Amino acid sequence: MKARKPLAAATYLLRNARQTIPLTGVIMLAVLLICGIVSLINSIPFSIRTIYSYSKPVLGVAPRGDATQTPNLLKVVKEKAPVPLERLTVARGIGREVTSIVGPWPFSVIGLKQADMKFWLDRQFVSRLDGKLPSPGKPEAVISEPVARNLNLKLGDALLQPDNDKGFSPNTVKIVGIAQTDMWLMLTSYEYVQANHFPDVDIILAFAKTPKEQDTLNRWAEKEFKGQRVQVLAFHQVEDDSDKMFSILYKILNVIIGTLVLVITIMMGMLINIYQSQRLVEFGLLQALGYTRKQLLGRVMRETFSVVILGWIFGVVFAYVLLRITKSLLMDPRAFALNTLDPTAFLYTVPIPLSILVVATLTVVTRFRKFDPISVVERRLV
Amino acid sequence: MIVAKAASLTYHDHGKQVYACRDVDLEVHPGEFLGILGPSGSGKSSLLYLLSGLKIPTHGSVSYDSVNLASLPEDQRSRLRLNEFGFVFQQPYLLGYLTALENVLVAVPGQPLRNEASNLLEKLGLREKSHRLPHELSGGERQRVCVARALLGQPKVVFADEPTAALDHHNGLQVVELLNLNRGEGSLVMVTHDPSMLEKADRIVHLVDGVVSEK
Repeated sequence: MKARKPLAAATYLLRNARQTIPLTGVIMLAVLLICGIVSLINSIPFSIRTIYSYSKPVLGVAPRGDATQTPNLLKVVKEKAPVPLERLTVARGIGREVTSIVGPWPFSVIGLKQADMKFWLDRQFVSRLDGKLPSPGKPEAVISEPVARNLNLKLGDALLQPDNDKGFSPNTVKIVGIAQTDMWLMLTSYEYVQANHFPDVDIILAFAKTPKEQDTLNRWAEKEFKGQRVQVLAFHQVEDDSDKMFSILYKILNVIIGTLVLVITIMMGMLINIYQSQRLVEFGLLQALGYTRKQLLGRVMRETFSVVILGWIFGVVFAYVLLRITKSLLMDPRAFALNTLDPTAFLYTVPIPLSILVVATLTVVTRFRKFDPISVVERRLV
Repeated sequence: MIVAKAASLTYHDHGKQVYACRDVDLEVHPGEFLGILGPSGSGKSSLLYLLSGLKIPTHGSVSYDSVNLASLPEDQRSRLRLNEFGFVFQQPYLLGYLTALENVLVAVPGQPLRNEASNLLEKLGLREKSHRLPHELSGGERQRVCVARALLGQPKVVFADEPTAALDHHNGLQVVELLNLNRGEGSLVMVTHDPSMLEKADRIVHLVDGVVSEK
């Protein structure tokens, strides 16, 4: 047997694998479980934000109940915008459901004029367009690669059809182009929507020059049109809405995680207590030989710390591996978003090692306080 | 030098005060082999605990190199035991997950005494078994490992509490012989109920009912 430092934590842990492995395993599984649950739950709002992230570089303003108001609104935006505008135009929309992680989710096929379409695609980080852009007035559409994956569509397939509940159009609108970008996009020509779809309402699109200015513009529009028959569409609303929508879910998640941490800590405390009881002869002998309580406590804490940290690291690594597998097998084929390195998920696991360390310290301190080495060497305890 | 002056150790048994040791006056001289002989229950082990600082007398005093052990905080008494004393107990207690050599090294933490420990095990006839775990050793071999552990670092005093109790007579004599031969200039204080184990002792005190009856 390879000689080691006798009282080093590694010596005890390696030579007592029957005790070490279950402790490490329980911590690892707990971390894996919490990290997995939090990452998957977080993927819901993350997916929804990802779906609507195409709206980040643009402000939408639409009249409510009175389509004739659009020119007035256009004038207000043009004259009062607090930042310089890079582009101000109009668009129209057709509803088309996509599949989100929580089921069918509303999305829009945006009708744009040719020049606007090119500008829009540039703003959406499109690296390549397979096929072509929809011709003006024709039943044609371009979609982005994530949408193609989500709806399992390819070039030449129908995006909208007269008998399609999820995406209606009086004509079959075929896919003539697929844009390579991470954004979710469905575009058709403005003229086609104008000729075939109700309501007959133009939505104003206002592009600022920088993301910061875009945010200023969006927040200005919210204030400017507050209380009016106007709908303002901005990306931060999606963020705020998803935060509100999932706040109860997160409260439930916190209760679940809290309960889990409590149960695991109690379980670990009991396990550590059992293992320490099995080591009373060792502690008694060392104390009789002259080791101080402080030294023994320090040693036990080093061992516990090693087990807890090891279990946590294994848990985090396995969680990452499992999430990668989940992402590639379940999420990516439908273009659902999942952050495999979600910092919140890893933060949620931190209470596990901390609480176990606290419980282990209290357990050992309590034991050592009442401990009499004489009782051990006289075999009163064994 | 260890000096016990009118040292008593009492404990309570069903509300009654019982003396484990009573008014013991005793000196342990440097380098001597002191035997403490007495029947079972005579307070031999209690006296050993008093002399080694494992227990503090309820009356009287025990001092080591003129320092009253009762005046030292617990941590300092522990350090004194670790640095100056060696112990062999009745049962050959070893840490089950450490090899014989590693068990010996436990006695002197933080010092590179691997060679000394190996030499001690060799002297005690355990050279070939120094890398074995305790469960791979016989009872006699385990107690010899305990002897090596007590002797490592050349302690000033080795306390042996019935070190032969768990061994047959032959193995017992061998253990005492090894302790006596390898203690160097240190003192050896050995407690036993078997007079034949103290043939090599420089001095023997008899203990009856916690009282030193004969020196």
